[in-house]
Amino acid sequence: MPFGDRTEPSVVVKPNQITRKKVLNASDYLIEVEAAHVAERFQPGNFAVVITVPQGERIPMSIQKARDGNITMFFKKLGKTSNELDTFKVGDSLENVIGPMGNPPELKKYGNVVFASDLVCGHAENYAFCEALAKIDGNHMISIQTFPTKEDIYPEEELSRALCDEYYLTTVDGSYGIKGHYTEVLKELLDEKRVDIVFAGGDVPWMRDLAKLTRPYGIPTIVTVRQIMVDATGMCGSCRVFVDGEMKLTCIDGPMFDAHKLNFEDLLSRLAMFKEQEAKAMEYYRGRGGIN
Amino acid sequence: MAKINKTRVPMQEQPAEERIKNFHSVPLGYTKEEAIAEAQRCLQCKEATCEQNCPVNMNIEAIIKEIAEGNFKDAFLIAKRDNPIPAIAGRVCPQEDQCEGACVMGKKFDAINIGKLEAFVADWARENGIEEELHIEDVPGKVAVVGSGPAGIACAADLRKFGYQVTMFEALHIAGGVLQYGIPAFRLPKDVVDYELSNLKKIGVDVHLNRIVGQNVSFSELKKEFDAIFLGTGAGAPIFLNIEGEKLKAVYSANEFLIRVNLMKAYRFPEFDTPIIVRDKVGVIGAGNVAMDAARCAIRLGAKEVYILYRRTKEYSPARAEELQHALEEGVVFKELVSPTRILGNDEGWVTGIELVKMELGEPDSSGRPRPVKIKGSEFTMELNTIINALGTRPNRLFLDKTPELELATWGGLKVDENLMTNIDGTAAGGDAVSGGATVILALGDGRKAAKSINEYLSNGGKAKK
Repeated sequence: MPFGDRTEPSVVVKPNQITRKKVLNASDYLIEVEAAHVAERFQPGNFAVVITVPQGERIPMSIQKARDGNITMFFKKLGKTSNELDTFKVGDSLENVIGPMGNPPELKKYGNVVFASDLVCGHAENYAFCEALAKIDGNHMISIQTFPTKEDIYPEEELSRALCDEYYLTTVDGSYGIKGHYTEVLKELLDEKRVDIVFAGGDVPWMRDLAKLTRPYGIPTIVTVRQIMVDATGMCGSCRVFVDGEMKLTCIDGPMFDAHKLNFEDLLSRLAMFKEQEAKAMEYYRGRGGIN
Repeated sequence: MAKINKTRVPMQEQPAEERIKNFHSVPLGYTKEEAIAEAQRCLQCKEATCEQNCPVNMNIEAIIKEIAEGNFKDAFLIAKRDNPIPAIAGRVCPQEDQCEGACVMGKKFDAINIGKLEAFVADWARENGIEEELHIEDVPGKVAVVGSGPAGIACAADLRKFGYQVTMFEALHIAGGVLQYGIPAFRLPKDVVDYELSNLKKIGVDVHLNRIVGQNVSFSELKKEFDAIFLGTGAGAPIFLNIEGEKLKAVYSANEFLIRVNLMKAYRFPEFDTPIIVRDKVGVIGAGNVAMDAARCAIRLGAKEVYILYRRTKEYSPARAEELQHALEEGVVFKELVSPTRILGNDEGWVTGIELVKMELGEPDSSGRPRPVKIKGSEFTMELNTIINALGTRPNRLFLDKTPELELATWGGLKVDENLMTNIDGTAAGGDAVSGGATVILALGDGRKAAKSINEYLSNGGKAKK
């Protein structure tokens, strides 16, 4: 069946069924879900669109790994969707898992490659990129992962440490590993002239600082953007961003953009558009006994 | 012959002040008695100009004759011969430009309400469980239909009736294309669309959702797996204004606005998760059906003032007469002869207004309508806090960018010959992907014509007739 999800009566799993779930820290969790069509075609940089329940929204999600017809994604309990999904158990099914979406960058020899991440989706991508790029001859894969504090650090097996050639773990408050943000480690590497390209995913304001940091060094810097999407197929334009003044759609032109050309102010402004509604959805969910 | 009844049997509608509070159908549909009375007005003229002026040449007179005699089942079966989705076409066709526009009665009196009779008979069949009796004999041949909008539906239904194995690919998680994401429920109730899609499945069309050809299914995979392909990929990508301020919050493409409302049911937020922001002063740029749909959704979502901003005058609006009328009844204000030059915003990145330039009508352009010409120095600003751009759509480049082997027409759509075959062997195309933003019925006609071409191609041993 080249085009369908598994339609053969599979005794093991149904499409979109959760096969694994794991707590990563107090707010983040991992979900592995059966999505053969996505898993078969996934490349680092692709994302999935997830609809958790029939009334659900279409949310773009980063993929940590694709294995044996399953994909693994990291979620952070923020709003209604992520909190509700956290109540799902292994064996429950998501409404839809769609993808792979977006344009992955070429997997090739870049030389000294850094992947830096400081938030849930970024950490998922960090893992996927380290796994793919470290295997390519001539690449020296460096990973930097930042967490706010010691308690927030993910379980070792979900970090990219074992996959890369050089690894740095930082905490912003210095309670574990190197003190500070990934930008501080990166600055040292840049000063040592040990970086040919930087990829990054996670918190947008920090990406903006990253762009400021690498620009004077002239080091190509590619960031993954998760702008608000609806269809994620180029139909709505909700995810528009501005690159060198030109309108691009995150879903079909991205999700990875040149950080030196991306307008971060507009990105941040539009990302906050539905803040009030997000709070309202959460309140509604709570009111219906969704979570305490 | 009985006395001529000059005026239409009126269509019962939800009153404007009621319907702006809901998304239910505005017309309530004819009762049996009303339908019979309206059908009896038909002169059954020899020329049947209505049929000649129908893009799919429905046998309109025969349908009306059967309705007039109360033979609804026969009327329905005749309708289905030429139109697989009469319940939909009856609601969304621009009848005043087609069948009803050519109605002989309409020359002196009211034209027969053909659209509403068509919808009546299809609704009656659906409600009474009446279906076409099909005896499909399977023949060898696998066909992929890309897109589940009106072109794809019509093509898939016909191909299946020819006996081919038909697999339909839909990019979204709900099938129906523009019938689902574009046209609001108050104009086209979604159970009507769902019913037609379920009929496709019932006759054996295999519908695959979440399959985006060009993204997660490649065109070359399709070519390998199928003996023929129909591309009904639509014109789903918004055209932006390319003016200052499009980055601002609460500035939407009509596509985004309508997808949120129709497909994702944002009008039922927070019961449904997808939100929409509609503030009190809304400007809709454009005056076609999509603009009317967006404006009327905005009214229903609580906007206090909704303006249609159009560069020509009302009489040149490309919208269906009924939609324009309904929009005005619902309080939409039509602002003529203006064109946007700039969108204005505040420090927080929210839209606060629009700068417009006044226009005047000049010489006719290629569309036959007067060309709107800017009046120099007439710029003025208007306070608005939600803006919806309904300037039109174009084919989605997600698909086209990944299929460079497909030849394109100069305007960017797919290029086809007179049989709707593309330059790729065994691959036909139709609907908005070929013709741009056209109508449901033209897409339907294309789908049927393409099915015929594909049938010829496959009967000919997989060779296009030259």
